Amino acid sequence: MIELSLEKKLFGSRGAMTLKMSATLKRGTFVVIMGESGAGKSTLLRTIAGLESAKGSLVVHGEVWQDETTLLPIQQREVGFLFQDYALFENMSVEENLLFVKENRPFAKELLEMMEIEGLATRNVTTLSGGQKQRVALARALMRRPKLLLLDEPFSSLDPRMRKKLTQKIKAIHTHFGTTTLMVSHDVSEAKALADEVWFVQEGEICPSGIEVL
Amino acid sequence: MRRVWIVMMLLGVVGYGAPLRVAVAANVSYAIEPLIEAFHKSYPHTKVEVVLGSSGKLTAQIRHGAPYDLFLSANMRYPEALYKEGLSVTKPVVYAKGSLALLSMKPRDFSQGLALLTQPAIHKIAIANPHTAPYGVAAAEALRHQHLYDRLKPKFVYGESVGQTLTYAMHAADVGLVAKSALFSPKLRHLKEGESWQEVEGRFYHPILQGMVRLRRTKQKRERDAFYHFMLGERAQEVLVSYGYSL
Amino acid sequence: MIDLQPFVVSFKLAGLTTAILFFVALPFAWWLSQTESRSKPLLEALTALPIVLPPSVLGFYLLVTLSPQSAFGGWLSETFGVELVFTFWGVLVASCFYSFPFMVQPLQNGFESLNRHMIEASYLAGKSRLETLWYVALPNITPSLLTALMITFAHTVGEFGVVLMVGGSIPGETKVASVAIYEMVEMMDYTQAHIYAGLMLGMSFMVLFGVYFFNHRQKQKVRKH
Repeated sequence: MIELSLEKKLFGSRGAMTLKMSATLKRGTFVVIMGESGAGKSTLLRTIAGLESAKGSLVVHGEVWQDETTLLPIQQREVGFLFQDYALFENMSVEENLLFVKENRPFAKELLEMMEIEGLATRNVTTLSGGQKQRVALARALMRRPKLLLLDEPFSSLDPRMRKKLTQKIKAIHTHFGTTTLMVSHDVSEAKALADEVWFVQEGEICPSGIEVL
Repeated sequence: MRRVWIVMMLLGVVGYGAPLRVAVAANVSYAIEPLIEAFHKSYPHTKVEVVLGSSGKLTAQIRHGAPYDLFLSANMRYPEALYKEGLSVTKPVVYAKGSLALLSMKPRDFSQGLALLTQPAIHKIAIANPHTAPYGVAAAEALRHQHLYDRLKPKFVYGESVGQTLTYAMHAADVGLVAKSALFSPKLRHLKEGESWQEVEGRFYHPILQGMVRLRRTKQKRERDAFYHFMLGERAQEVLVSYGYSL
Repeated sequence: MIDLQPFVVSFKLAGLTTAILFFVALPFAWWLSQTESRSKPLLEALTALPIVLPPSVLGFYLLVTLSPQSAFGGWLSETFGVELVFTFWGVLVASCFYSFPFMVQPLQNGFESLNRHMIEASYLAGKSRLETLWYVALPNITPSLLTALMITFAHTVGEFGVVLMVGGSIPGETKVASVAIYEMVEMMDYTQAHIYAGLMLGMSFMVLFGVYFFNHRQKQKVRKH
């Protein structure tokens, strides 16, 4: 169970705005977060990860990540995060990127196979294509078997064919590991394929709804 | 009316011309202001600009065309070299005899003279670099005369000029061998002889004959010669003596 | 006869200064690049001060502060029996002050130009700030790191005013090549001065070229992979 109630003053692309979001989420749900640009979707994700601060509370699987007295540091939150620009460790190879997160060679191998990139294991990540990079990032995000998987518009830099392929991969991962996932996306077909629940963010507030609305 | 203006401007250029530039060795820096004041009593309209430096550096600059009118060195060797190279109008002339003094910011017992430097409490001795500064040459000579040079060498700290040596003596070293003239500057005048400083016996080293030359490359011949003769005259001698020089 | 001692002192001084400053400046530069603290501009200005101060002025202040006659220098002398003026160690301390911004600034600039998300990815992987610095940030700013090391080294080799003031030009101990050359010019021994200057340039060039060449080779290796 994930319970969040967060508040933050933002000065974004639309001027000053207050983010006020509360929601509950059952373990294992796949949520797609949609809404206009600048409405606060990325900020929500980043706050859950601990990359940004906000007022309020956040409880994940019974563990308090944030309330009036505590603030769990980023490092201790078991979160997998996918950035739009991949954010791979450029001084390392593909497998080094994964092993840096956790020294678990068999699991790393398994993940690379799932992503169909096991042949790239020793390549330096800067030599890969966008689609390959994002698959490495996805594998890396799963190395610690995180409680939450957060995906911040992970496919917007990729071409449609690659987007479709990776959507399938995400679906497979979700089915296999059952990780609670929150994904920010603009793409309706992606949402239809992946979401159990859709949150619409408008002017800093969430309006949860099912996928029927799409 | 216009003619009056032109004449006045010409007079201004001639009479109130560019300042006289005098290159002055470090040890004279303490006495130069009072000397210029005395000079102004007879020549109130001649501005004098002072360029300070170590004699070696000033000589090198003059050799390479520095726009100085006169050079007051700390020795005879550098001005003699300039004369030989045709850069000076006349042979060097002694304008003062410099002396060495021991200086310590902490009161010490100076009764033993240079032997004081061998005490274990003295860690560092500031001395002007004998390779480049005439006062350093004299200091080395005096120490060798007393058979102390080699023994004290590990304690030496070398000032690039006698001016820097004084800085060391005042701020960081235990004792320094400095120009006696420094002790008469306003900052150090209050220090007591025998307690904070002591002149080094003259017979330990060759007298520091300080030479002066008029430089050929000048735009103010008259003013240059005026200052030159002033330096050799009675008023200047009085000032120099009050700063510890002998003649 | 060429006395190589001044060169030994110069390179020893530059090498040690660079090594010490690397370990001192690295965490500081990292902190500066990551912090949003209000004191950041103040600290940056203080760090840059040695660049603006004339070397002889800096040398003079260091001389007075470290002197056994001063409060600090006297304390050092009484408590540890250490005198920093007119010794190699004193000149080393002075060089570290003088060259500090040359190590900090390229490192800081390098860190600030890193992809923020990559750093965040490291934290998200459970790595502490220091682990992130050492394993992720530093390996990705190799050009800036090289610049920092080389400029600090070169700057220290060329140092004159500060070393002259604090060092007292003691042969074998504080008489660095730049001071030795200056002395030869003062003595009007221009031939010696030319030889020494040439040697110094040659040696320094070899060191710098060696490092840039090595760096270039490393880059080629990565590309071929």
